[in-house]
Amino acid sequence: MASADWDDDKREAKVSNSKDAMSHLLRYGRRHTKEFLVVVGLVLIYILTQVLQPWLVKIVIDKDLIVKHPHFRSILEIGILYLGVTIIGLFANFTQNRKLQWIGQRIVRDIRNDLFTHIESLSMRFFDTRETGRLITNVSSDTNNVSQFFTSFLLSLIQDGMSVLLIMGAMLLLNWKIALFSFLVIPVIVLISVGFRTKLRDNYRFTRSQFSRLIGYTAENLGGMRITQIFHQEQKQLDRHTELNKRYTSGNINEYKWSVLFNRTFSILGNLAVAMMMWLGGEAVLHRSIQVGVLYAFITYIQQFFNPINSLTQNWNTLQASMISAERIGGVLLTEPEIKDSPEPIALPVQPDTQTVDLRGEVAFNHVSFGYSPEKLILKDIDFRIAPKSFVGFVGETGAGKSTLMGLLTRFYDIQQGSITVDGMDIRDFRQQDLHKVMAIVQQEVNLFSGTVADNIRLFREDISDEAVIEAAKIAGADEFIRAMPGGYESWIRAKGANLSLGQRQLLAFARALTLSPKILILDEATASLDSATEMILQRGLTRIAAGRTTLVIAHRLSTIRQADVIFVMDQGRIVERGNHEALMAKGGYYADLVNKSAPNADELIEGSV
Amino acid sequence: MTPTQLIRSFVSSRKWSYLLAIVAIGAAEFFQVQIPHILGGFIDRLKLVGATEHVILHFALELVVVAAVFVLAFGFGQTQIGRLGRHMEYEMRQVLFQHWETLSSRYFQQHSVGDLLNHTLNDVTSVRQAMSMGMNQLSQAIFLFAATLYMSIQTINLRLTLFSLIPILFIPVVIAVIRPHVRMRSRLVQEGLSDMSELAEESFQAIRLIKATSNEPVEVNRFRQLTETIVERQMSLVRLNTLFQALIPLLSGIGFSIGLVYGGWLVVHHQISLGAFVAFTVYLTMLVQPLMQFGMVINLLQNASASVLRIQVLLAVEPDIKDPEAPVVKPWAGDLNVSNLTFYYPSSKEPVLKNVSFTVPKGTTLGIVGRTGAGKTTLLNLILRDYDPPEGTVFYDGADIRDMRLEDLRNQIAYVPQDGFLFSTTIGANIAFSQPEVIPEHVEKAASRSRIWDAIQEMPEGIETQIGERGIMLSGGQRQRTSIARALIKSEANLLILDDSLSAVDTRTETEILQALRQVRGEKTAIIAAHRLSALRDADWIIVLDKGEIVESGVHNDLIRKNGIYADLYRIQTGGEAHG
Repeated sequence: MASADWDDDKREAKVSNSKDAMSHLLRYGRRHTKEFLVVVGLVLIYILTQVLQPWLVKIVIDKDLIVKHPHFRSILEIGILYLGVTIIGLFANFTQNRKLQWIGQRIVRDIRNDLFTHIESLSMRFFDTRETGRLITNVSSDTNNVSQFFTSFLLSLIQDGMSVLLIMGAMLLLNWKIALFSFLVIPVIVLISVGFRTKLRDNYRFTRSQFSRLIGYTAENLGGMRITQIFHQEQKQLDRHTELNKRYTSGNINEYKWSVLFNRTFSILGNLAVAMMMWLGGEAVLHRSIQVGVLYAFITYIQQFFNPINSLTQNWNTLQASMISAERIGGVLLTEPEIKDSPEPIALPVQPDTQTVDLRGEVAFNHVSFGYSPEKLILKDIDFRIAPKSFVGFVGETGAGKSTLMGLLTRFYDIQQGSITVDGMDIRDFRQQDLHKVMAIVQQEVNLFSGTVADNIRLFREDISDEAVIEAAKIAGADEFIRAMPGGYESWIRAKGANLSLGQRQLLAFARALTLSPKILILDEATASLDSATEMILQRGLTRIAAGRTTLVIAHRLSTIRQADVIFVMDQGRIVERGNHEALMAKGGYYADLVNKSAPNADELIEGSV
Repeated sequence: MTPTQLIRSFVSSRKWSYLLAIVAIGAAEFFQVQIPHILGGFIDRLKLVGATEHVILHFALELVVVAAVFVLAFGFGQTQIGRLGRHMEYEMRQVLFQHWETLSSRYFQQHSVGDLLNHTLNDVTSVRQAMSMGMNQLSQAIFLFAATLYMSIQTINLRLTLFSLIPILFIPVVIAVIRPHVRMRSRLVQEGLSDMSELAEESFQAIRLIKATSNEPVEVNRFRQLTETIVERQMSLVRLNTLFQALIPLLSGIGFSIGLVYGGWLVVHHQISLGAFVAFTVYLTMLVQPLMQFGMVINLLQNASASVLRIQVLLAVEPDIKDPEAPVVKPWAGDLNVSNLTFYYPSSKEPVLKNVSFTVPKGTTLGIVGRTGAGKTTLLNLILRDYDPPEGTVFYDGADIRDMRLEDLRNQIAYVPQDGFLFSTTIGANIAFSQPEVIPEHVEKAASRSRIWDAIQEMPEGIETQIGERGIMLSGGQRQRTSIARALIKSEANLLILDDSLSAVDTRTETEILQALRQVRGEKTAIIAAHRLSALRDADWIIVLDKGEIVESGVHNDLIRKNGIYADLYRIQTGGEAHG
């Protein structure tokens, strides 16, 4: 699993040039250039005040304290100045921080919105080849990483870089010889910081992954505790838990030890730097080349090197993470939708009085061949015509190509050969938006959204009124169970929650399709076990929603399509038989065979029909 | 054991380690506070005539040695406490997991996995934080604060220290007040983010539906609303955070200014030396740290005590199914008898099962049919003692199952659940779940019987193939067949229970599996509950449940002739053409 993920990353990275991706995303920052400049100005003020603080103490020491006749008035002045500088600095930093976060938040929002909009516009094939989980990561965490580039990396580059430079400047001003000596400490800090950083990051990742394995294991076992208990395997499961827990704990301890080691190394290094300064500066004081206050400032400054350099190396990691994320996002954003609207689309015929779509709903497949990859055809020479407002069924074993057929009618994929028409017009000549207004699909697995029942039926569309929702639910046969729910139509449902049964979900999907009043209804029947009573309710709902429109049903239970006008029997990508139930049974072919096999008890059926 | 006891016994069993760590930290702080003192002495010595290079070097070396001792002792103490805290975390997780394993299904139905996970995710972690980070910071803060205060009063000046300290003393107050708000706001941000991810997930998973209904603009709009909310919440967090980040340096800045002015005044009036002044500025900076830590420790302790309370509630739950004090122990055969079983769920007044009685003699198969909610699964769960049946209602080989050891009863049963729950390990380990180890021949035998062996052989790594979380890599039918194999491998079990376990396999496979089950019939007693009547074609006796009561029973042909519920179901499922 992990290695596959990794390959995927590399592949994505190759597809989109990383510089392209980053510059693409930098455009989001460019909108805020002026604000960025203000931030830079404020950062500069803040850093200046920080560097000024030891300088002021130095002035106090050298000008007022060390002299023969110290002067208190100027100490008071400088004390007040110190407070003033501190307050100005803090205010600048405070404002800068808020401004920068405000910029960053808007950037991440814009990227998220654009990314989501773009993903929604992509064609089905894109979704076939991506894991949903990966896409969600793109939207939530990758966008966040990219925004860190603006808020964290850029800030650190400006703030920390500038601190180091200004401190160096201040030291040079005080005494350039000692300053140059002290700069020796900089490469040492950088090296140690970079060296530790990699180790710390690896440790962190290791511990995280061990932790999520432990938590995942716990979650799974909480869900399956019943099975563990019934099979009496408590000890086995506990042993595995112990093993994972031990691994996490030792990883965690190791991570902790390294971070202590890192911090202590830094603190000993800091003290070494001070000692070095005492030695160098002390001699300079002895030789009268500097004053005591200057020594004080030097000792303070050399300690100030540590934080910004550490923070810079830390942010180097942020940069790397943002680059990887930028590539991923770029890879998605640069993907073009595979299926495009025709440059001169046909306008949807509209009935002038009611403003509704004026189509009869005649569907035809003309010698259609299709494969997800051109060399491997799934559908071969499919040719049929469905009269408006008729009810047709498609049957066949799993993999016969039934669902693929429906995906072609909705133009989720473009066909390689032949044509598909609605009322004699090629579906490729419609705008996709328009084509989809004509159709509705009800799928095997009913997708639910976190929201109210009513919103799930109207798919959150504001143009569909509560009355229309209730009307649709009544026709579909869903009204009864919805009213029985504690909040009725306003009951909250969760997408992953199991508070609706399979049958109820199906009825809800029927109602959903009805609110769209499609001319063509495509229905992929649920296969999962439904009890027979529910089956009957669904059957009745189906009959009602099919009335007055062209309905195509992929049937898994043959009883569903017994009454169909035409049944198409599919096998290995071809239509092998067609006709109504009676005709097909009389023929005694593939269909008749399927029907016989699905009877509860083959012997009984023969016995019974005698 | 309550968590407080757990912590107490953990600490007391390691009291010497803890003591050593705390002593080390105390010693470390003693050395740390010498550093400004050395610095001050150094400055004063520099001003005196007669300072030599030798003297300077001496001071510098002294500083290095003192700092090294400080760093080593502190690092040691810190590591020690951190390590101990993590060991305690380990033990808490073990205790929780072990405790959960003793609790019965009822408990897991009443609590969502997510809520339970929060205990192990957040509560255990926050206790560990208090025990390691909290203890570290607290001991450091106490020693450092005391030592710094002592040094600056003793070696410098009492009044200077007190005056400069006033604004700094507000730091822990600010932290203790603002931090909980920061946490609350950041939780709101997290919620916003997870709402957004949830919407994205739902939307991408429903992409076919969305595209087919051209609902993309609606989705985009919903998404935009959420990202807007996130921006608002983030900014509200930022506002508080920036305020917080500005207040602390402001307070210490004020303290420092006071120190500068008053300290300067004292130097001017020769009450303290210049070296003491310099040392004081360093002490002042050092005081800020423990005061910040006091604030944080208060927060950590607040969190941890709430967590301890939650864990305490969790651990106090007693398992509701227990072994009898004097269990019946004998060689078991496989006769099942249910007599006059009426059962209520604790929360409801209506019985789920009413006066249910039947006998399944050893080696026969009982079929159970009925609508959803008729009580089929409840009945099976009572036989499994997933819930306790009333006394004197369910008998196995003549013994009330409540008088059997739970372990004995469950060893007798090979069970196939409705949902086909599988673990995220290899398919082989799933099939051999009840076995101490995976023996390929046994797995193959069971897998062949449940018609999953061919599919396993086609998998990239055979029985070593990982099947993902809850068996996500398998189809619904494959999952059911795998869980049938898991039951069949338990050759020592005499009672086979299938709870609607053939619903997701196609009719042809169903026939094959039933054929395979026929092989074990005669040796084993079987109970098969199903919606689809075809799954019951081998039953020796069928009972029809409706609203918790047996309304019909008999063999298939009799039941068809009765023209009742069973015949109705038969008609619906065959498509309306059944005759008696």
